Amino acid sequence: MTALSLTINGTPFGPIEVRDDLSMNDFLREVLGMTGTKFGCGAAQCLSCVVIVDDPAGSSATRPTCVMPAVSFNGAHIRTVEGHARAGQLTALQKAFVAHYAFQCGYCTAGFLNEAQVLLERLEAAPIPRAGLEQAILDALDGHLCRCSGYVRYHEAVRDVVLAEPARYLL
Amino acid sequence: MQPTRRELFSWVAASGITLGLSRLSPAIALPFEASQTLPGRADAPRIGRARIDGIAKVTGAKLYASDFRAADMEGWPTATAHALLVRARDASHVFAGLNLDALPATAQPTKVVGAADVAASALRAPPFYAGDLFCPIGQTPLYLGQPVALLLFTDFDAYDRARIAFREDSALVRFGAETGPRTGPNYAALRFTRIAGPTPEAPDIYSPLQEGWISPGFTEGGGRPIWKPLPTAQGGDYARGATYGEEIRALLAADTPDLLVLKRDFQTQSVDPMFLEPEAGLGWYEEGAGALHLVLGVQSPFEAAEALDYMLAQAPATLRPKRLDLDFASLGGGFGGRDHTPFPLYVGLAALFLPGRPIRLAHDRFQQFQGGVKRHAFDMRSQIGVDRATGRITAFAADHVLDGGGLANYSASVAVVGATAATGIYDIPKVDVTTVAEHTRGVTAGSMRGYGTLQTMTAIETLIDEAATTLKIDPIDLRRRNLLTAGGRTMTGNPWTVSVRTPEILDKLEAHPIWRDRAAKKAAAAPGVRVGTGVACCTKDYGTGADCSLGRVEIGPDGRVTLQADAVEMGNGIGTAIARRVAAILGQSADAVTVARIDMYDALGLVTSGDPYAMTQAEQDAAAKDPRWVPAISSATSASIGAHVSTQAPAQAARIIFRFGLWPAALDLWGIKAGDPREFLAEEAFWQDGFLIMSGLPPLAQTAIAARAHALKGITGAMAHAFSRWAWAQAAFPLGGLDWAADIDALAVRYGDEPFKVIDRSFVFFPPTAYNRIGTAFTSSCGTAVRVEISVPGGAIRIVQAYSVFECGEVLVPELVEGQAQGGFAMGVGYALLESLPPFEDGPGNGQWNLGDYVVARASDVPLHHLQIEVLPPVSPREPPKGMAEVVMIPVVPALLNAIYDATGHRFQSLPVTPAMLRKVIA
Amino acid sequence: MMILLRLPSLIASTGAAALAAGLLMALMAPAPVSNAASEGLAPPASFDSIKDPATRSAALFTELGRVLTSPRCVNCHPVGDRPLQGDSQRLHQPPVYRGADGKGLAALRCSACHQAANYDPARMPGHDPWFLAPREMAFEGRTVAQLCAQIKNPATNGGRSLADLVHHIGDDSLVGWGWAPGPGRTPAPGTQKEAKALAQAWVDTGAACPVD
Repeated sequence: MTALSLTINGTPFGPIEVRDDLSMNDFLREVLGMTGTKFGCGAAQCLSCVVIVDDPAGSSATRPTCVMPAVSFNGAHIRTVEGHARAGQLTALQKAFVAHYAFQCGYCTAGFLNEAQVLLERLEAAPIPRAGLEQAILDALDGHLCRCSGYVRYHEAVRDVVLAEPARYLL
Repeated sequence: MQPTRRELFSWVAASGITLGLSRLSPAIALPFEASQTLPGRADAPRIGRARIDGIAKVTGAKLYASDFRAADMEGWPTATAHALLVRARDASHVFAGLNLDALPATAQPTKVVGAADVAASALRAPPFYAGDLFCPIGQTPLYLGQPVALLLFTDFDAYDRARIAFREDSALVRFGAETGPRTGPNYAALRFTRIAGPTPEAPDIYSPLQEGWISPGFTEGGGRPIWKPLPTAQGGDYARGATYGEEIRALLAADTPDLLVLKRDFQTQSVDPMFLEPEAGLGWYEEGAGALHLVLGVQSPFEAAEALDYMLAQAPATLRPKRLDLDFASLGGGFGGRDHTPFPLYVGLAALFLPGRPIRLAHDRFQQFQGGVKRHAFDMRSQIGVDRATGRITAFAADHVLDGGGLANYSASVAVVGATAATGIYDIPKVDVTTVAEHTRGVTAGSMRGYGTLQTMTAIETLIDEAATTLKIDPIDLRRRNLLTAGGRTMTGNPWTVSVRTPEILDKLEAHPIWRDRAAKKAAAAPGVRVGTGVACCTKDYGTGADCSLGRVEIGPDGRVTLQADAVEMGNGIGTAIARRVAAILGQSADAVTVARIDMYDALGLVTSGDPYAMTQAEQDAAAKDPRWVPAISSATSASIGAHVSTQAPAQAARIIFRFGLWPAALDLWGIKAGDPREFLAEEAFWQDGFLIMSGLPPLAQTAIAARAHALKGITGAMAHAFSRWAWAQAAFPLGGLDWAADIDALAVRYGDEPFKVIDRSFVFFPPTAYNRIGTAFTSSCGTAVRVEISVPGGAIRIVQAYSVFECGEVLVPELVEGQAQGGFAMGVGYALLESLPPFEDGPGNGQWNLGDYVVARASDVPLHHLQIEVLPPVSPREPPKGMAEVVMIPVVPALLNAIYDATGHRFQSLPVTPAMLRKVIA
Repeated sequence: MMILLRLPSLIASTGAAALAAGLLMALMAPAPVSNAASEGLAPPASFDSIKDPATRSAALFTELGRVLTSPRCVNCHPVGDRPLQGDSQRLHQPPVYRGADGKGLAALRCSACHQAANYDPARMPGHDPWFLAPREMAFEGRTVAQLCAQIKNPATNGGRSLADLVHHIGDDSLVGWGWAPGPGRTPAPGTQKEAKALAQAWVDTGAACPVD
């Protein structure tokens, strides 16, 4: 057992004693009841379970929670699907997913949302030429499986968020 | 979203430590229904014209069965126990029990449930799942992946350890002597033969519609049906049809110079629906109250309730629950794989055998591969005869063998639907198709998107392409010469009864740049690249021949609309589609839509009896005298029935509210008195931006009309039941002094704020039982054109451009329709190029399959920015919605195969076509 | 530290496969996903009967080649930009690419999933660092003879001397992961120590290469 402390969506949790090989996915879903983060394959192959880990240096990356022990998140600051909207205000990305009918069953949505959010933040920090946008979106999202949508509307939604603020994301 | 207070209690109970948790704001578990009622009053203004579940899904709200724990359920104990369903990965040796001694102490279950426990409690497998719920010790499992035991754990950690231990250590399930696989009878063997009359108008000489469906009834030693007509007094009906069938075979076998005959084999693979949410459920047997509470996620809620009821019905009174309290959640995908799944039975067993404790049963992905329903693998031999001079198909014969796996499930039905689709979009005067669905030791196969037609239409659409190449006729032209058009007869002898748009679809394909520029693009191929173009056009039935819709609609004095329906949200957007169809009638989009509700229609007092597919006309006529009787009460959300069927009852209920609630209120507001000719012009009024518009009269606010309807005690609520057997049941109801006829067969209404009251139908017409001989009457069509590039020598294939064009009558929600087509395209790509499950011991039944080995299409596998979707406008403004969610997947597969042929000169006759296979033919 | 899942029957069946720095993780043996039994490596002394030093050297390399051609080595020495995965050596899922540093594209770094140690409950391999061998060091599709020539050539072995090679094979902890890959993967044959002994003996006998 290890005492785990971490910050989720800005709220500190812990220390909480957890079994050392308890997965982060089970920690979120079974211990905390935060089931917005999904379980799809348990093998980091569908990426529906990713959360955002915010690095103290300011960069962020997604991590699949199903293949990592919860204790490896000790001290981490993470964001989950439950934390994107603030004070009832959806983010531009959330609005775009909804407006585009990006998802159908929605089970992969949390993963796509987190991954695309990290992409937006990466583009904001290091804008790219417009011509490279579609490939950048593909590189970011290709690990994420969706069985319903055929992906088209997810990619269009992310692209539209970027193109709505070209000065912010593009060179 | 914060963790709930009760979740934390459950965690405290497990570990005894409470550090740092008191700061969490307590949350109270809400009624389950609240989680499934969307968009909800708060979110309704923000949803606009988006999906009603859109905000819930982008904010991680609890929505799916897998999201719920005991602490989320109002009135339940707070702690959740966990169940592990252990399955056999061997079906050739005697099951000798579990080796729990090899499990560490920290992974030991609280309780183990197996065949003996089920037998001792007189719990029965429902007929649809006939076969032991658990393999008894001393028997060889009936199939790979058959459950052998249910392990119940009060503690999550022990469950989690045991789950992994069973995955990694096959020795935990012991097997004894080798017996070889168990054999079982075929699930179905049928023959569909049709000989058309001399002219299109003449009656058929022989057809399944006229003569009934036939089955050989004789099998040889190995279990295969004997298709030849045997000289015996028995089976006379079969012999008659089979004799015609053999004539067709003889015609195809004769070496006639003016007839091109192609005989081809085609094999399709087993695949997994791979909905992203593995099956999960939550149960609690509340002993004191005798109530079994379950939270489930299935496409067929009513069937799940019936199956659970059947399982429990003979149990001793001490064990049998007095009440089944079932909650049905949104699904993280379905694709057919959750239509009639046995999973709910095991959730029920877990709860029943750990009374008093809420318990969760959830597959991980390995387990979902091991136990989930699969698509049937088909082995097909087809023969087509094409007149060389005219390009007309004169005869077609095929023999299909389906691997049904371990339980019957839907095998017979898939065999029928596959067989009756084998002639695709074509008008062929002589057809003979045999089909047999076999029992094997494989994982059970059942319903999946495409449902047999994906397999058989892939075969015909590649065959037709080969015939065109051989005859040097343009492939679209050859298709056109053979189209089955409106009024023509399908291979069962009945015509399609809906619009037939294949001629337009072929025109669209022909004119599209993908097809038009195919030669130029091929000529311009870059070095090291083979370019090919392919088309295909398919049609797919929607509906099952016994489809139901239940809907309940209410409008408040403030104009707010509340909807309930029995259809299930599995991503298809059914709640949104119902809301859209009803909004067009009631002038406001519902802010509270609850789907998957099968328990809101008590006032209808529905009763049923008999099997809607098998009853005689006399039985139906007798039963229909009871004004509460309907042929079936509720059906699965499947068979592309969402738009056509599932919206029907709510839409008809809404029409009645409008006609007998809102319209009289509007007349009153306008001051139009009885007897004024405008009294009967309700159909001419329409809604615009919340106002009812009628030419020559001031627009009326919807809210004002609703308030007046309540004040006048008009009809403000209606619940209805609809039934379709290739045509809607129709009934008339005394309403407002009229005999109101509608395509529903049961109705209850609410006046003002009074309780619902059933209305006896004054007349009813149920579609004749003879319609059960129809193969397909409702069909919609789709064509696909694709261009592929295959790299030499690697064999990597890329779809560079694609176009799908289809029709679906009235488009309720364009984004949903287009999204289905895009998703269907990706699933078609997976089926054609990527996905495959080997049968038997190396297949998913071994519990070792996951998404690394089973590869489904990713974004990089589809032409994201070069996939064009076109939906033909309805033939008339009044054309009803037609199902389209399956057909959009089907032509993708043969179009890809035809494009691969164009690129490589090789016709592959098995799926999937992998780069390794391509490498061999382009070397 | 808690070792929560001891499965004595399995541990016995695989011998004393040394674990990498798998702290905190369950101790579990590979699942029977492959029929390729992981048999031990022949010790260098067993080649003493081969009198000709070049022949002996080549034979030593051939034995070592059983390690080099194991999926545990080849999967991260691919020809293309995508690693292979599993005993079946299919392309890695999800799709990942070597990127500029062999550690993945910015969008999906190897370390997003591969942490410092194996996480056996999810069959997730781990080691810090986790990366692909450079393209010129590809093993995929090579015969043992081709591998031998390649591995001796500083242009295709990462600029290593023969002594460096012995060290890489025998002491590198990422290479060592190949003998402790966690459940669901067949370990490389033998042990890293045995492989080092073979590599050293091969070098000592003149580092001759076998002929296909």
